[in-house]
Amino acid sequence: MTLEPEPELREALLAAVPSLRAFAISLSGQVDRADDLVQDTLLRALSNLHRFEPGTNLNAWLFTILRNLFHSEYRKRRREVEDPDGSYAGRLKVQPEQGAHLDFEDFRSALSQLPSDQREALLLVGASGFSYEEAANICGCAVGTIKSRVNRARLRLASLLNVNDIEDLGPDSMTRAALQG
Amino acid sequence: MTVDKGNKLARVSLDNGSGEKLATDPKLDSGSQKRIGDQLRAMYDELMQQPVPDRFRDLLDQLDKNGRKGGSQ
Repeated sequence: MTLEPEPELREALLAAVPSLRAFAISLSGQVDRADDLVQDTLLRALSNLHRFEPGTNLNAWLFTILRNLFHSEYRKRRREVEDPDGSYAGRLKVQPEQGAHLDFEDFRSALSQLPSDQREALLLVGASGFSYEEAANICGCAVGTIKSRVNRARLRLASLLNVNDIEDLGPDSMTRAALQG
Repeated sequence: MTVDKGNKLARVSLDNGSGEKLATDPKLDSGSQKRIGDQLRAMYDELMQQPVPDRFRDLLDQLDKNGRKGGSQ
């Protein structure tokens, strides 16, 4: 069977770009950096096409590549600059241009405060539409680990966004309630 | 240290960062879970709907041309 990559592959890769970008932007918090990540992902995918098993999920394969690139780059940066998690969080907050909604701004800010392993698990399962099993493959960890990360990500988001009524007792939420009410 | 927003964050940051805490994690009630999920997807959909930047189209076009010379069938 001859592989005929050009037309279909091109279309398939192009079709994958929006979801890769959405993932990369949500993961990195920066559109420019996300686009670089997506570009590197496409290049790496093309030079490793022989490793892709036809019939398997192309998107999952691409997400795996992107995620690995993101983490190796992150580690590299971390070595170069002292980069505590806080600076990442700060970056996400000052990125309002691609989402005028205040809701999203709040949400992004909360998302940025998650540990990155929880953030990526939640993005894969809750937004990108992967199963727990697929997400576990993408992240190279156990299914149970993904489930636990997703659960903790949700809990933290709920508490940061004051979604969870039970935890809704702090002065923050009272101020907020007053403003909304 | 991310102590920028009052004690709510301070409390939350206790289970931040470090390893997997395998103890009994509480579950979010389904209503809250749905609201989180809805917001997440709404944010994500907005990103998905952004037009594909030209650089990706150009990149793949270019590879199309380059790939053709080697890829004899």
